[in-house]
Amino acid sequence: MGRQTDPWPAHARPAFATVRDHARVAGESFYFVSSRVGASLVIWLLIGIALALPGGLYLIERNLTGAMDRWEGRVGLSVYFEPGSGSAGAQALAARLEAMEETERVWVVTPEEALEEFRGDTEVSDALDLLEDNPLPASVRVSLAEGVPSATVSRLAGEASADEAVEEVVIETTWLERLAAIAAAVERLGWMLAGLFGLGAALVTLSSVRLAIESRLEELRVQKLVGGTDAFVRRPFLYLGIIYGVGGGVLAAVLNAAALLALEAPLRTLLEGYGQDLELTGLDHIFAGALLGVGALLGVCGAMVASRQRLRGLEPV
Amino acid sequence: MGSVAFRNVTKRFANGHEALKNVTVEVDEGTMAFIRGHSGAGKTTFLRLLLGIESPTRGQVVVNGVDIGKLSRRRLPRYRQHLGAVFQDAHLLMHRTVFENVALPLRVTGVGKRDIGRRVRPALERVGLLEQEAYLPVFLSAGERQRVGIARAVVNRPKVLLADEPTGNLDPHLSRDVMRLFLDFHRVGTTVIVASHDHGLIESLGMRVIELDHGTLAGGRG
Ligand SMILES: Nc1ncnc2c1ncn2[C@@H]1O[C@H](COP(=O)(O)OP(=O)(O)OP(=O)(O)O)[C@@H](O)[C@H]1O
Ligand SMILES: [Mg+2]
Repeated sequence: MGRQTDPWPAHARPAFATVRDHARVAGESFYFVSSRVGASLVIWLLIGIALALPGGLYLIERNLTGAMDRWEGRVGLSVYFEPGSGSAGAQALAARLEAMEETERVWVVTPEEALEEFRGDTEVSDALDLLEDNPLPASVRVSLAEGVPSATVSRLAGEASADEAVEEVVIETTWLERLAAIAAAVERLGWMLAGLFGLGAALVTLSSVRLAIESRLEELRVQKLVGGTDAFVRRPFLYLGIIYGVGGGVLAAVLNAAALLALEAPLRTLLEGYGQDLELTGLDHIFAGALLGVGALLGVCGAMVASRQRLRGLEPV
Repeated sequence: MGSVAFRNVTKRFANGHEALKNVTVEVDEGTMAFIRGHSGAGKTTFLRLLLGIESPTRGQVVVNGVDIGKLSRRRLPRYRQHLGAVFQDAHLLMHRTVFENVALPLRVTGVGKRDIGRRVRPALERVGLLEQEAYLPVFLSAGERQRVGIARAVVNRPKVLLADEPTGNLDPHLSRDVMRLFLDFHRVGTTVIVASHDHGLIESLGMRVIELDHGTLAGGRG
């Protein structure tokens, strides 16, 4: 028997055929998902939550390090005077510090202002009214210029405490160190959760796609009978995985935005105490795009595994 | 394009049962042949081997010079795209319209939308179901479903048309129509192989007959 070049040539296939088939399948998959809104929503939420947790931790970590970057080298000093010593000494010290190159901003908190601040912060204002004298001292708050070496910070602190009327000088670096430690822990936690919950998201798509395959097994058998290639048979499920994954990514972005919004007010108050303005960053189109991308990727992976498992040995009819 | 040869084909199933025993048969391109035999003789197994659904335990199933049992996973679908298959149970997609069911083989081979309409409608017309193109199969009678299956089998102009008891659900009048349809394809050069119980019909057509008896070739005619 003479061997022809190709006894079963591929059907003449228009160049655009595959693209067209992708478009058709994408449309059908959207229809499939939207005709089962309830079930689809549950899947989206599961994936969304799984992605939102590591995503949220990433945002927190990013903002913490962002805050630290802005403070780096800008250590603060708080110089507390003896109570009842009046604010004249504080004004004098402030003037001296102000003149130095190393300081960026110097301001005096008079006992009255301190009391005001305290009143605003607490609900003990009634109790404060009972006191005859203001028990709070005057203080000078100093924020130092960027890149001031710690030796200089210590020297400044020493100079300030040389003043008779000064009771205590607090170098505000410890909270920065704490912040750095927290940020590092959050980052690690974020990676661990990203791994775990990413796996969870992929498993959610895997089992959802497997269910979809199971419910359409008859159809797939017929497709194989008429010569549907593996790619053709698998295509709707890959799209299903993408739709589930991207939908989950959208929900994750929404959840993260909501969480950030809820956190904004308390964070602002916290930072104002350090004379800083809140500048939440990270929730931009790149972050949202990354969530969608990761969602799509995990969705495709889950769908790939599911269709590989289920379609490999599938025989027509 | 469309010669079929079984060479010493034995098919033994996992349970040890031999559905075909050392069968050697040649069907030339463009031939119309019937496979006849009692229930359990191996007719369906014969067709499933041709479709590449089963592979022979021994021997070769050769279509158009190619050993079907050795086709790779990638090539098997492409081979099937050149076949048309009709079963007793039509195996339709129940959630798709008649039109979509018939269009499926065209979608698989990447035919464009306009051409799909151009080819599905004539196929439906030939089986007398043009008016039902928008129906779901559940609203069709068994005979109508069978004819949708036939339209689907021929819509891609297969080189080889296989049918397993295609007239089982049809009354004598419709059976004759279906056979006439197969004959039309035979006349334009398609190889047609039909497994059937229907002795009367087979005799009336006077075509080649492959007779199976408990998995062995029992003569026949042609
Ligand atoms: N997957 C299988 N495993 C084991 N035995 C099988 C399998 N498929 C078919 N058989 C057996 O092989 C024999 C031939 O089956 P086949 O379906 O080919 O018969 P047939 O000629 O089509 O019968 P019918 O006219 O009833 O459709 C039967 O005895 C059947 O029980
Ligand atoms: Mg049978």
